[in-house]
Amino acid sequence: MKTTDDLFAGLDLAVFEEQPDGAWHAVGLLPDWLALPAGPLDLLDCFPMLEVFLPDCDFAKRSQSDTWTEPDPRNPGEELYLQAVACGTDERKFLALRTLPGELLTWQQLAHDVELEKEKVERLSRELEQKRREAERATEAKSTFLAAMSHEIRTPLNAIIGMADVLSGTPLNTEQHKCVEVFQRNGVALLNLINDILDLSKVEAGHMELESTDFDVREVVAAAMEVVEVRVKAKALWLNQILVPGVPFYLTGDPNRLRQIIINLLGNSIKFTDRGGLEIRVECDPGNPSARAGDQINGWLRFAISDSGIGIPEDKLGRIFESFSQADASTTRKYGGTGLGLSISKQLVELMEGHIWVESDVGKGSTFFFTAHFGVQQDQTDRKPVSTERTSVEDLEAGISGLKILLVDDSDDNRSLILAYLKNIHSHIEIAENGLIATQMFRKNRYDVILMDVEMPVMDGYEATSEIRKIEAASGAKPTPVFALTAHAFADMAVKGYAAGFTELLTKPIRKVTLLEAVAGHSSSGEAVTHAAPAQSMEESFTVMVEDGMEDVVPGYLEKRRAEVPLYQTALAANDFETIKNLAHKMKGTGSGYGFPRLTELGSILEQAAIGDDAAQIGEALKQLAGYTARVKLVFP
Amino acid sequence: MLKKKICLLGSYGVGKTSLVARFVHSMFDDKYHTTVGVKIDKKVLTLEGEELTLMLWDMAGEEDGAPVKLNQVKDASGYLLVIDGTRAKTLEVARSIQQRVEAEIGARPFLALINKADLRETWEIPDSTWTELTDSGWTLLETSAKSGQHVEEAFFALSKRILQAPAEEDEND
Ligand SMILES: Nc1nc2c(ncn2[C@@H]2O[C@H](COP(=O)(O)OP(=O)(O)OP(=O)(O)O)[C@@H](O)[C@H]2O)c(=O)[nH]1
Ligand SMILES: [Mg+2]
Repeated sequence: MKTTDDLFAGLDLAVFEEQPDGAWHAVGLLPDWLALPAGPLDLLDCFPMLEVFLPDCDFAKRSQSDTWTEPDPRNPGEELYLQAVACGTDERKFLALRTLPGELLTWQQLAHDVELEKEKVERLSRELEQKRREAERATEAKSTFLAAMSHEIRTPLNAIIGMADVLSGTPLNTEQHKCVEVFQRNGVALLNLINDILDLSKVEAGHMELESTDFDVREVVAAAMEVVEVRVKAKALWLNQILVPGVPFYLTGDPNRLRQIIINLLGNSIKFTDRGGLEIRVECDPGNPSARAGDQINGWLRFAISDSGIGIPEDKLGRIFESFSQADASTTRKYGGTGLGLSISKQLVELMEGHIWVESDVGKGSTFFFTAHFGVQQDQTDRKPVSTERTSVEDLEAGISGLKILLVDDSDDNRSLILAYLKNIHSHIEIAENGLIATQMFRKNRYDVILMDVEMPVMDGYEATSEIRKIEAASGAKPTPVFALTAHAFADMAVKGYAAGFTELLTKPIRKVTLLEAVAGHSSSGEAVTHAAPAQSMEESFTVMVEDGMEDVVPGYLEKRRAEVPLYQTALAANDFETIKNLAHKMKGTGSGYGFPRLTELGSILEQAAIGDDAAQIGEALKQLAGYTARVKLVFP
Repeated sequence: MLKKKICLLGSYGVGKTSLVARFVHSMFDDKYHTTVGVKIDKKVLTLEGEELTLMLWDMAGEEDGAPVKLNQVKDASGYLLVIDGTRAKTLEVARSIQQRVEAEIGARPFLALINKADLRETWEIPDSTWTELTDSGWTLLETSAKSGQHVEEAFFALSKRILQAPAEEDEND
């Protein structure tokens, strides 16, 4: 017996044998990890797991139970992992209990910890994403609201500023003249404020897109200087410009936004300068690595606007480019302005890949620097001397006399304003109250210029203009310059407007001189054609704005239509008009919905042609479909 | 003396062990010790004047590749289905366990506990899901092993249900 005890002790097992009365008795010594109550033993009561295990186990085959956990009698707080093993012969049944190694737990614990950690990270990133989307929606809502508001404000402002302009052109006594000047000055100030707020909200919402056009940097600087000239003179300051030799003049980028930055910085400097003057300096960015490598013509420019003003205290330098943070709140009261200009400038500079900063000496003055990156045009030979001369209103009026003009606008106020602007040019002006009336008049008459409001009842300006383009295309007539008068100042308006066939967009409030310049620019017989949109601008409008939320589906839709072209061609070759009709019908029904009115139009043409078995017409329309789907450009929001 | 076996089922980490520790030992540990196999505990309670011994089978949480061992649930009188309110996934695990129990070993009284109620702000289970589950016949209880909220209530409510349920075949004494 002693040898058996030793044997079991060495195996570290607790072994029990079933007695004839059903009770289990220990065989040999029990290991010290097993704490059993003293006295007669009810093993099943001690280990309820056995109640599940024993009824189903096969002693002849040596079966194992599932694992279970027990407290470790040797180490309070620790646990043991136990397993029962049943074995025996026909006559005798043995049950062994054994402990399983602790590593079992270690890896399981690790796996669960990792899983839980992973879930936590996933949850946090979901929450972050959610927050990000909410913030985006809020910004979106804000900018939509501002856009709508600005429209509401600009429209009446249009009437006020415009009428003040008109009034200032009539005989007035000194006092009246002063009053009108106050109207004009404050109207323009209010307009600037609205524009600033709108710009800022657009940049914040990520809606600001820079143009990319060729321009002459000298003209941009000159134009900016001209804008601030009156204020410089009024404060008896001087204003210099230095163009460091070697700066490329002919660049590609967004001249309007560049001018806006310079005007903002000049305006800011003027505001804080009472003595001395200002200087604007343009040079190749000396901080740019490739400039240091000797490559000067790389499109990286640095602008510096210095003044001899009050300067900015060191501790305010950091916050000066933040929105609504003029160095001192009292500054706003004392020096005026919204303080938004610097913040907008910073955002615009960053869109131009540059950065903006200021160096200042309190009492001596400040220098605002910004860098920006432009394309450099191939040809840098000096094309024309910079001219800041502007044609006077009288010259403009004289230049465009005798025109036949169609004015389309539903608002009485707007019409009288435009009529007042055009009073001095001896022109013949006809009026249409909405787009539909305009197209009806256009069918019967030809005009030298059309002034078209955008938002009108019955038929809006877009539709009317594309209708007019169609009428012209059908008769082979030369395109008439159509100027859109819009109170919306968003870039997508421009895309939509040019797609509809507008020659130029004029944003309300429209100044008299702006209107005259625009008309003058397009009405002299030779130029009209070169500046105007191509004749089939509706038919051949190759830019489509993808609607917000449609980015995922529109490209696929277009791709499918493109891929369908060969199907049409095959069907046409086989005189299978039924297939063409079906394909075309679907395209007709869906095109506009995806933002392609042109596809709907072509679908309709193809469908009609297929119904009439008109192979020639189908062939012609297919050419257009192939051309359109191949060339149309999607613009994403 | 009346003795009933109750199982705690659900995904890993939902708080099964913590609920038992709170109920039996009035303790709570923030640290996570996953359960290996099953841990069996006992609690005697008095219900409507009668003594009742609950055998609490705190089973290892279900995870991919290791489903709940239904052979251990077979002879239980009822079960607590534990869900972690902060992890929507654990609700799906609970649903699936409930369906398997019903299909493979037959229906028995159960209570669904949405645990970690002390973290309610971070719960991922929307109120609509609650209504939906209640409509489908589940009885739900918000619990917190940490604060003790509704823990006793949960065990007592299940015990009552078990005693009221038509005893299919009383294997226990
Ligand atoms: N805040 C909070 N934490 C809890 C609660 N219940 C459990 N926990 C924590 O959740 C983790 C998991 O708890 P356990 O009780 O081990 O979960 P389990 O369901 O037994 O997990 P497995 O044994 O792996 O299946 C531990 O860190 C607990 O401290 C609760 O009500 N509130
Ligand atoms: Mg556990």
